[in-house]
Amino acid sequence: MKAMILAAGKGTRVRPITNVLPKPMIPLVRKPVMEFLVEHLRGHGVKELVVNTSHLAPMIEHYFRDGERFGVQMAYSFEGNLVKGQVEGKAIGSAGGMKKIQDFSGFFDETFVVLCGDALVDVDFAEVLRFHRSRKSIATLVLRDVPAEDVSKYGVVLTDSTGRITRFQEKPNREDAVSTTINTGIYLFEPEIFRYIPSGVEFDIGGQLLPELVRAGQNIFGLALPFTWVDIGSVPDYWEATQLLLRGKVTGFTMPGRELRPGVHCGINVQIDWDRVNIVGPVYIGSSTSIGNGATIIGPSVIGSGCVVQPGATVKECILADYTRVTSAACLEQKLIFGNKCIDPSGSSLDIAEAQIGWLVEDARKTEDLSETEMQLVDEVRALTAS
Amino acid sequence: MQIGERKVGDKIILEVLESHFGADKALAFKNALGRHLEGGPVSLVLDLAKVDFIDSSGLGALLSVLKRMPKGSELVICGTKEPVSSMFKLTRMDRVFTICKTVDDAVSTLSH
Repeated sequence: MKAMILAAGKGTRVRPITNVLPKPMIPLVRKPVMEFLVEHLRGHGVKELVVNTSHLAPMIEHYFRDGERFGVQMAYSFEGNLVKGQVEGKAIGSAGGMKKIQDFSGFFDETFVVLCGDALVDVDFAEVLRFHRSRKSIATLVLRDVPAEDVSKYGVVLTDSTGRITRFQEKPNREDAVSTTINTGIYLFEPEIFRYIPSGVEFDIGGQLLPELVRAGQNIFGLALPFTWVDIGSVPDYWEATQLLLRGKVTGFTMPGRELRPGVHCGINVQIDWDRVNIVGPVYIGSSTSIGNGATIIGPSVIGSGCVVQPGATVKECILADYTRVTSAACLEQKLIFGNKCIDPSGSSLDIAEAQIGWLVEDARKTEDLSETEMQLVDEVRALTAS
Repeated sequence: MQIGERKVGDKIILEVLESHFGADKALAFKNALGRHLEGGPVSLVLDLAKVDFIDSSGLGALLSVLKRMPKGSELVICGTKEPVSSMFKLTRMDRVFTICKTVDDAVSTLSH
């Protein structure tokens, strides 16, 4: 089997994280979500895969390169332009992206998998392929049952007893939904489907291709099967996903690093005096990070690499990107620090420079340079914490 | 710096009528509140419901007002919404100031 990973989305709902990272590169503890997918596909015999890239394309392309390091052959189909030295994305839809690759080289010459690069999944593709072949399907959707209150977020489908899809609804209201079975955006296709995708135009799989196949009288099928599906489609989703991973609630996920204290996993070259810090797991501490004496770290938390948690600081239930400095004056609780933003699990955020909160949290590579106001506030907080 | 002012009994309700309470407003704010801090004890409610953004300088200005209040005075803040309430929490200023939801809550919190 060949595969395509859809990675051209802008990740609007994961802003501001996606201002600095394309969605497929968002780390689940340490590893980009797309790397889990590449490994999973390789485990199911996929040897060649193409990724359509657009927004922040070079970050994906430079990380995975030709795929050799991951035991697969990888190529990219870039959707956009280089303007004044900057990559400008211009995505052409999921089906449009597939068609562009097919028009270019005819890459898809056998059954192939298509999936989004922004959810951790462990679908048993061997089982889906068996089903796909047994039904002589040209398009098979991996389905999933969700609670009724969630149907409005997804494409809902209705199937008959053989698994043939008889109806589609795109994000219906809860009361209008014909079922609670949803399209997960994971597909097996036969190359015949390209007859139904026009060249050179924006075209979507869920909204256009699938209805087109049904209109043309093609039988398309869906298979609901249990599998892990950790979506990071929005900031609250990402927050939830990281909490689940750290708490060990996601099958097949193992914490990186070594477990140096119960529930505390660490990279190497970490500066820490275990007797003089207060750490309650589950916590991951990245390589080359320094945790000052008297600091408190409460899990579930991820501290990136090259971070500095100064003496006396408190970090409770946080995700800190690499090179984050948390100062002695700071008490970070339920925050994500990414790309100079201090983000709430709800998605609202503060720009660190604009809000002048560099005296609390800052890029660890910047020299500490506090204004008079900031120093006054540091003193104030220090007096407060001492009392 | 636009500040609305009204009285409920002997309590003074000050409403910050700026959406952006940053470094450029900090000094003006301190000056505007100066006259309430020159006499005897005062009971102030500071309504931040119209404020969409506050930075460290804005918080610093609030702090300096708090410190200059005559002995026996009270200051209650109300109406904070995101991301202003986040800023208070992040800087631990939520523990320095008394913060209520509404003006009415704030008024009833003041003891005299």
